[in-house]
Amino acid sequence: MSESTRERVFKKLTHAVDLGDEELAAEGANEALAEEVPPYDAIIHGLAEGMKLVGDKYERKEYFLPDMLLSADAMYAGLNILTPHIPKDASRSKGKIILGVVEGDVHDIGKNIVKVMLTASGYEVIDLGRDVPTPEFIEKAKSEGAQVIAMSTLMTPTLMSMQDVEQSLDKEGMKGKVRTIIGGGSVSEEWRERIGSDAYGKDATEAVSKIKTLIDTIIATAESMKEEDGSS
Amino acid sequence: MPSSYDRFMAVLDGRPEEADRTPCVNTTSVATLGFMDAYDAHWPAAHHDPGKMARLGSAAHRLCGLDNVSVPFCMTVEAEVFGSAIDFHEGSARWPSIREFKITEPSELSIPEDVSEAGRVPVVVEAIRLLKEEFGGVVPVNAYLAPPFTSISSYLVDSISFLKWLRRSPETVHEFCRATLDTYVEIANLYEEAGANVITLHEMGASTDIISPTHFDEFVKPYLREITRRVKTPTVLNICGSTMTILESMMDCGATAIAVDERTPIHGARRIVEGKQPGYPIIGNIPAYDVIHAGPVERIGEAVDNAVKDGVDMVAPGCDFWLETPTDNIKAFVDAVVKHAKT
Repeated sequence: MSESTRERVFKKLTHAVDLGDEELAAEGANEALAEEVPPYDAIIHGLAEGMKLVGDKYERKEYFLPDMLLSADAMYAGLNILTPHIPKDASRSKGKIILGVVEGDVHDIGKNIVKVMLTASGYEVIDLGRDVPTPEFIEKAKSEGAQVIAMSTLMTPTLMSMQDVEQSLDKEGMKGKVRTIIGGGSVSEEWRERIGSDAYGKDATEAVSKIKTLIDTIIATAESMKEEDGSS
Repeated sequence: MPSSYDRFMAVLDGRPEEADRTPCVNTTSVATLGFMDAYDAHWPAAHHDPGKMARLGSAAHRLCGLDNVSVPFCMTVEAEVFGSAIDFHEGSARWPSIREFKITEPSELSIPEDVSEAGRVPVVVEAIRLLKEEFGGVVPVNAYLAPPFTSISSYLVDSISFLKWLRRSPETVHEFCRATLDTYVEIANLYEEAGANVITLHEMGASTDIISPTHFDEFVKPYLREITRRVKTPTVLNICGSTMTILESMMDCGATAIAVDERTPIHGARRIVEGKQPGYPIIGNIPAYDVIHAGPVERIGEAVDNAVKDGVDMVAPGCDFWLETPTDNIKAFVDAVVKHAKT
C-alpha cells in the first residue's frame, strides 16, 4: 500500500463524512480494507478527521444540526465496516466510560458523536442511550467499574437531571472515584461549577480530550497510591 | 395611571410614545416553583386544572408586577392534540416530556375533528377565560403555542429523523406541517375567542443553533406566515437561541413583534430591524438563567439598563422563566424596568 493510496482513502472517508454520504463512506471503508490500510488509521485520519471538519463548519455556522446528523450517519456507516477489523491489541480499552443523555431529554446526536470519537480513540463506551434515568448512570458505573460518567443534554429544563446524577454520586460516596463530564447545547462551564461536575466539554473534540485527561489523572493517582503503599 | 394593558398594547400597536414606560413582560412560560407554592398551583396539576393554571399564569403579575399574564406552561399541548403520549412526571415539578415517539409518517397523525375538546386545549381555553374575567382590559392575557416546526420536530416526531428529513426528505416535513397547520390556527383562535389579547408563537426549535437560515425560510417561515395571517389577535414570534442571521426572515413571518433571548444582541438586532421596518417591536433579552435566576439584584438591574439603552421595546427574558427563579429576583427584574419610567 503506497502513501498515496492511504491519502486517497483517508480523503474519500473525510469527504464522505463532510457530505453526509453513507454510501460513499461505506465505499471508502471497504476500499481501506481492500487496500490494507490499517482500519484504526482509516477511522482516525479519515472518518474522525471528517467529523472534526464538520464540527468546525458547525462552529462557523456553515453547517447546522441536520448536517451534523447526516455526517454522523456517514461516519457510522464507515465505522461499522472498519471497527470489526481493528486488531485486538490496538482495540484494548484505555478506559471505561458510561455515556448517556440525561432523563427527560431525547436529543442524542452530540452524545453519538462523542461516542464515535471515544470508541475510535480506543476507549470502551457503555452507551445508555437517551432519556436515561438517574439511577441507571449510578448502577452502571458501579457494575461496570467505569472511570467516567459522561452526560449530555440539549435542552434547558433537563439540566436539573445532571444535578440529580451528581447528588446521587455524592450520596453513594462515589464522588471523586468516578469522574463526571457534562456537555450539550444548554450546558456551560458555569453550570459545571454549580453542580460540581469534574469537567465540561464544549464540543465533541473537547469532550474527548477532557475525558482523556480525567482518565489519565485517575490512572496517575492510582499509581502514585500504589507507590505510597509500597514505601510504607 | 396607564395600565399594563395600555402600555403593552401601545407598543404592539406601534405607538410606543404613548406608553408611560417600557413594558416588562414574559410571553412564554411564567411558572416558577415559588409561584406554584404561593398559589397552590403545582405541576403537574396546573397543566390540567384551569383554576390552578390561571393562578400560576398570573402569579408573576400579582406578586412582582409583570406587565402580562401568560398560559400554558408547556410545549406539548399541540403535540398531544396530534397523538403524542405525554409524561407529566406525576409527583414532581418537571417539564412535561414525550415518553416515546410513535408517529413516523404524516399518515399516522390524528387530526382532531373538534379541537376545542382535544387534549388540554379546553383547559387552556378555560384558564384564559378566567384570566380575562379577572384581568380583561387591565393586564394583557398572553397564550403561547408551539408552532408547527418546533412542535413537530421536538414533541411529535423523533427529532433526529425529522431533522434529517430537512435534507433527505423535505416533502415529508412539508406534509407534516401542511397536515397540521389548520389545527394550530384553530387552537390560536379558540384562545382568542376565550379572551387572549396576544398569541405568542414559541418557536424555540427553529433558531440557527439548530437549523440553517435557508431551512428556516423553507420549512418555518411559510407556515408561520399563514398562521399570523389567519390568527385574529396580535402575535409575537419568540425564538430563543441564535437568530441574528434570520431576523429579517423572522420579520417576514408577519408577527406583530419578535422576541429573542440573550444569544441575539439587541444592539445589532435593532440595526437590522430598523433597516427593514423602522420601529418594528423587539422584545427581549435578559438571560432567564444567568441573570434573572442567578441574580444578584444589581446584575439584573444592569442587564435591564443595557437592554433598554440598546433599544428593546419590551423587556423580557425571551424564554421561559427558569423554574427555580427566586420570586424576589423577578420582582427586581420588574422594578429595574419600572425605574426607566418617563418622568
